[in-house]
Amino acid sequence: MKDQGERMTANDRILKLIFKGIDSINAMRPKEARFAKQPDVALMGESGGLDSLGMVNLIVAIEQQIEEQFHVSLDLADDEAMSMRDNPFATVGSLANYIAHLLERKGL
Amino acid sequence: MSSPTCRGVILSDFNAANLADCLKSSDDLPVVESTVVPFGEAIPAMFQRNSEFWRGEPEFAVIWTQPQSVVDVFRDVLRYQSISLDRLLAQVDEYAALLVNLTDRVRFVLVPTWVAPTSYRDFGLLDLKPGIGIANTLMRMNMRLSENLERSAHVHLLNAQRWIESVGNRAFNPKLWYMGKIPFGNEVFLEAAREIKAALRGLYGHSRKLIIVDLDDTLWGGIVGDIGWENLTLGGHHYLGEAYVDFQRALKILTHRGVLLGIVSKNEEATALEAIRRHPEMVLRPDDFAGWRINWQDKAENVVELTRSLNLGLQAVVFIDDSPMERARVREALPEVLVPEWPDDKCLFESALHSLLCFNPPAITEEDRRRTEMYRSEQQREGLKRQMVSLDEWLKSLEVRVTVEPLNETNLQRTVQLLNKTNQMNLTTRRMADAELLKWARAPNHRLWVFRVSDKFGDSGITGIASLEVQGGTGTIVDFVLSCRVMGRNVEEAMIHSITKHACSIGLENVSAQFIPTGKNKPCLEFWRRSGFKPDQSEERFWWWLDAAYPRPDSVAIEGSLD
Repeated sequence: MKDQGERMTANDRILKLIFKGIDSINAMRPKEARFAKQPDVALMGESGGLDSLGMVNLIVAIEQQIEEQFHVSLDLADDEAMSMRDNPFATVGSLANYIAHLLERKGL
Repeated sequence: MSSPTCRGVILSDFNAANLADCLKSSDDLPVVESTVVPFGEAIPAMFQRNSEFWRGEPEFAVIWTQPQSVVDVFRDVLRYQSISLDRLLAQVDEYAALLVNLTDRVRFVLVPTWVAPTSYRDFGLLDLKPGIGIANTLMRMNMRLSENLERSAHVHLLNAQRWIESVGNRAFNPKLWYMGKIPFGNEVFLEAAREIKAALRGLYGHSRKLIIVDLDDTLWGGIVGDIGWENLTLGGHHYLGEAYVDFQRALKILTHRGVLLGIVSKNEEATALEAIRRHPEMVLRPDDFAGWRINWQDKAENVVELTRSLNLGLQAVVFIDDSPMERARVREALPEVLVPEWPDDKCLFESALHSLLCFNPPAITEEDRRRTEMYRSEQQREGLKRQMVSLDEWLKSLEVRVTVEPLNETNLQRTVQLLNKTNQMNLTTRRMADAELLKWARAPNHRLWVFRVSDKFGDSGITGIASLEVQGGTGTIVDFVLSCRVMGRNVEEAMIHSITKHACSIGLENVSAQFIPTGKNKPCLEFWRRSGFKPDQSEERFWWWLDAAYPRPDSVAIEGSLD
């Protein structure tokens, strides 16, 4: 188990790479529909705004960031993610937790 | 643009929704709304004139296909099978014909070139071998497509390979393909959207026409007033010197595409001009500049003055200056002027210039190539005007010649360019593409003439258009267009003389002109008010009864034929 300090740093890095992914999809969205870069921002569901194509774009953008920054490739949209009771893509924060979980499983 | 929002249709054999989103979200003008045809229906929609996707009169279509989807033989190339090159090229020809046919549904068709599909991009030594290499075959296909489309002024190829190269290894992502049927990374679509919008600006005549540059640390290194022209960093065996020379060369090349250059610099004029004339490594010399304001005044004021002296609007101007302060000043004072952020690193000046997608005409005419020379002639005319006592004396001394000719295939391109660009002396400001204009001019009751103007200082080329619609005994002037470069030299009166002379020869009783106001064509109304035509009650329709001949201005010689 990582200590609190290391975990905070890792979470910050993960949030930053999610924000870069958000930048990437915001570039394709009208100003009024752009996502704020905050952990509590909803991505999917009623208060979200990402349709299935938007979600594909976001997943790919974030996976590219993970590969560049952590030098591992993750499949964020695998069966595990889709079968979880709480949708990991519901908010920026839940997605960050899910990525942290996957990275930890890779020993990072 | 012809309308605030430019509507388009995107047809593709892949999921192109991201391209539509990029076009919509980009801040660049024009504002674009596009309908994406579902990729399974795109090819059928190209054949079906009545397809719902063509309803609502979209102005443009983007047709972006993968080569293996539209050229069967190319699939064999991907499988390493031997192919008949003739058959492959014949299929390219068929596809090109299909693209040309779309021009009866939209004004412009934009076609990104074919690139190799995601999973077939590295055949190493074989890639460029004739008859087997994918890259070699694709080059041939794109060349053939380009040759086919050259005959259509409405279908334009866009270089998609450049977008791929500029994005690098993010250009393709297999997951986007498997999950979304999207063959390119989204940065490719952002590049594509930038270039599609730049193409639309060019096609609608909104390319920038004047680059105003600073001198010190912009065209050369160093402050000429402090160190003298002999000590400037320019050319020679110095990496920055070479960078400045390349930047100047890139600017000069733009003048061959019809872009004008101007200087706004805080310097002593004599000192700066001496450097431009005498430095052996200068690429740009005084004759390459349409004008300059070299003094110690505010740069924004100088930009306005210089632009006005060239009869251009500020929306035609790009201002390049190494100083962030000067850029901020001009940007704030003159929001219509494009003031790009400029790199500190001089080595990046040339590439920064190339990255400005604002000089994008669809064609280059002889007038474009000689534009700087024409403006220099204009300055000589103005010099003579200051010496002359009266306006009449000055006009006579110019020895203006107007040559009239009917619209034909040879002058069509320049005529359409003039029709779509001219704002001030434009009676109705109607904008038309060349096929539309040619069709209109060929109707039995329509006449359309173009006017070439020259004088003792030079040839301004085709600078006027007039057209007439005949109904009963009345001829209605539909277009009356004159480039601001030759306004006020009695060319206007010479054009009316020609129109009315023709109207008289075919037995008409009168000729009228209905002025349609825009935000920019007040000079045209003012001309018609003093033209001698009689205004009606609205004071925007003007009449001439042909029982009297409209006088030919003494100062103008009219040549050519109206038939």
